[in-house]
Amino acid sequence: MKLLLVEDDAETNAWLKRALSEAGHTVDLASAGRDGLLLAAGEPYDVIILDRMLPQVDGLTILRTIRAAKVKTPVLLLTAMGGIDDRVEGLEAGGDDYLVKPFAFTELLARVNALARRPPPQDTPTRLQVADLEMDLLKRAVSRGGEKIELQPREFQLLEYLMRNAERVVTRTMLLESVWDFHFDPRTNIVETHISRLRAKLARRGAPELIQTVRGAGYCLRAS
Amino acid sequence: MRGLLRSSSLRLAALYGAAFTLAVAALGAITLLTARAALGRVLDQRIASESASLAQEYRTEGLTGVVQAVQERDRTPGALDYGLRGPSGRPMAGRLDGMTAPTGWSVFAGPGRRGEDTERIRVLTTTLPGGYRLLVGDDLERIEALDDALFRRFGAALLAIGLLGVAGGWALARGMSRRIGEITGTAEAIIDGDLSRRVPPAVGGDDLGRLAGAFNRMLDRIQALMESLRQVSNDIAHDLRTPLTRLRGRLEATLAEPVGPAQGAAIEAALADLDAILSTFAALLRIAQIESGARRAGFRTVDLVDIARTVTEAFAPSAEDAGQSLALQVAEPVPIEGDRELLIQMLANLVENSLRHAGQGARVVVSCGEVEGRARLSVADDGPGVPSAERARLFDRFHRLEASRSTPGSGLGLALVAAVARLHGAEATLEDAAPGLEALVVFPRSANIATSQSIGHSLARLERQEARP
Repeated sequence: MKLLLVEDDAETNAWLKRALSEAGHTVDLASAGRDGLLLAAGEPYDVIILDRMLPQVDGLTILRTIRAAKVKTPVLLLTAMGGIDDRVEGLEAGGDDYLVKPFAFTELLARVNALARRPPPQDTPTRLQVADLEMDLLKRAVSRGGEKIELQPREFQLLEYLMRNAERVVTRTMLLESVWDFHFDPRTNIVETHISRLRAKLARRGAPELIQTVRGAGYCLRAS
Repeated sequence: MRGLLRSSSLRLAALYGAAFTLAVAALGAITLLTARAALGRVLDQRIASESASLAQEYRTEGLTGVVQAVQERDRTPGALDYGLRGPSGRPMAGRLDGMTAPTGWSVFAGPGRRGEDTERIRVLTTTLPGGYRLLVGDDLERIEALDDALFRRFGAALLAIGLLGVAGGWALARGMSRRIGEITGTAEAIIDGDLSRRVPPAVGGDDLGRLAGAFNRMLDRIQALMESLRQVSNDIAHDLRTPLTRLRGRLEATLAEPVGPAQGAAIEAALADLDAILSTFAALLRIAQIESGARRAGFRTVDLVDIARTVTEAFAPSAEDAGQSLALQVAEPVPIEGDRELLIQMLANLVENSLRHAGQGARVVVSCGEVEGRARLSVADDGPGVPSAERARLFDRFHRLEASRSTPGSGLGLALVAAVARLHGAEATLEDAAPGLEALVVFPRSANIATSQSIGHSLARLERQEARP
């Protein structure tokens, strides 16, 4: 995938570029807001990673400008700690996701991947399928190998998120935010217990485990 | 109206009105006494001079002359009262002849001038040579009429002054209480976090205007201090995030290189420590931001029941796995004006706090409802509880119970609860649940709003959520 990273710290840039390249992405760098604006408006990218605090032109201005220019590329905003209004401001300016600095690289990677393959908003499927696992979004029904599975509403939401992001790593934080609307880090292992209950409900004798734990990163729903 | 009655300016005005009325009354009394004494003196002089003139008549014209003079004067209208009696006490002339009086001044009741009433009469009795007694007197009607007139006038004046005092006091109190109300309102808005509010400038430079001016300058100063505090915390957040991001990046990059198992473990531990520091730091910044009150702009209608359900559902499986139980007790929707994200975090902190401290096998109940029109959210456990002396201090930053120092936790969870509660104008308290601890958040009356409105908002929210891909 082709990514644009707009961030002013050279060392962070170098490290992120190397790590993202190792993960198989092509990365363009912009260390100043103006360069970032020119690249973002001119080149087709899969995802733009944009720091909110930049010299010259700040991140939100860039975001508003490219959105005004009808650039629909998904944007991941990097925000400062403690900024409880940053997320809302960022989303209102046209951002698609946000990440608080400093972050774990796995978190950034998972979010970039989730953003890149996000389906266009008008394309909303009514059915999801991963291997023999099927989900009917209209009837709110789940079955595996044709066998019906009863899920709690929250478990359904959790599975839906995993299925929509099948084959991709989703982190604990991503799940907390999208399934529970928790925009903070609870010290309780909420995600782990819910995943383990969901696994138990999805388990079928002889069938492979669908929800896999990715060490140090999160979970991944895989067909094989 | 009730506020006005309780206002100190009205009390002051009433007090001054009463003092003023009292002073006028005293002035009236003095005037009355002085006028009466003066009138009395004039009367006495007239009686004395008449008496002397009649005595002179007796000496020059003899008894016949004085009898004639008395009879003549008695017939003249507007004259004094007279009486003449012989040495044996026999009445000889005048109206006052029936009275026995000692020589000198005396006052006694006698028939009125027209005979119908008895009046008080002041009489001077003189003994003439030959044993005759001459009485000259005047009724006190005139003095009494003066008393009456003065009393009536002063009474009316007093009443007018009293009414004027009350009306003036009322107007004064209203003016004062309105301006003091402006200052109080400003102070309250500022307590609620709106630091930009100022007391409206008063016309003229009176003492209240100067107070308002000083108050506004104090607020400017506080706002500047708060601004610099916020700037400092923003600077810390922004200046530290670059080196911390580098540090985290370096550690992660090192971990990606081939390292020995011992080094790998050490780096992972360092990363975990760094994340713990970051999370404490983030929590502090978050509390500071919440306390600045800026967040209130994002308030919308939220249902406390929905929040309670979300949080309880999230934590229930973990609680069960830990051998505890977490239950939800709700009935009707409880709509309030608030920040959903922060309310969720607040309740999550309370629930985590209960689950952590209530111990094995504990039962934690989350409930919410309305009591006397005020929304309340409660998290009660049946654990060992907390001594009452310790309870209030648990909301302080970094305050932790001696017993829980060994367990993980930043000591910021309840401080955040207190900050979120304050932001909503709510009161967070810890109560004795006998046994156990009950954390209670009681929202102000105004935070509740009509249910129909909340349904509208909930629908709008649902639509927004559906619309999200």
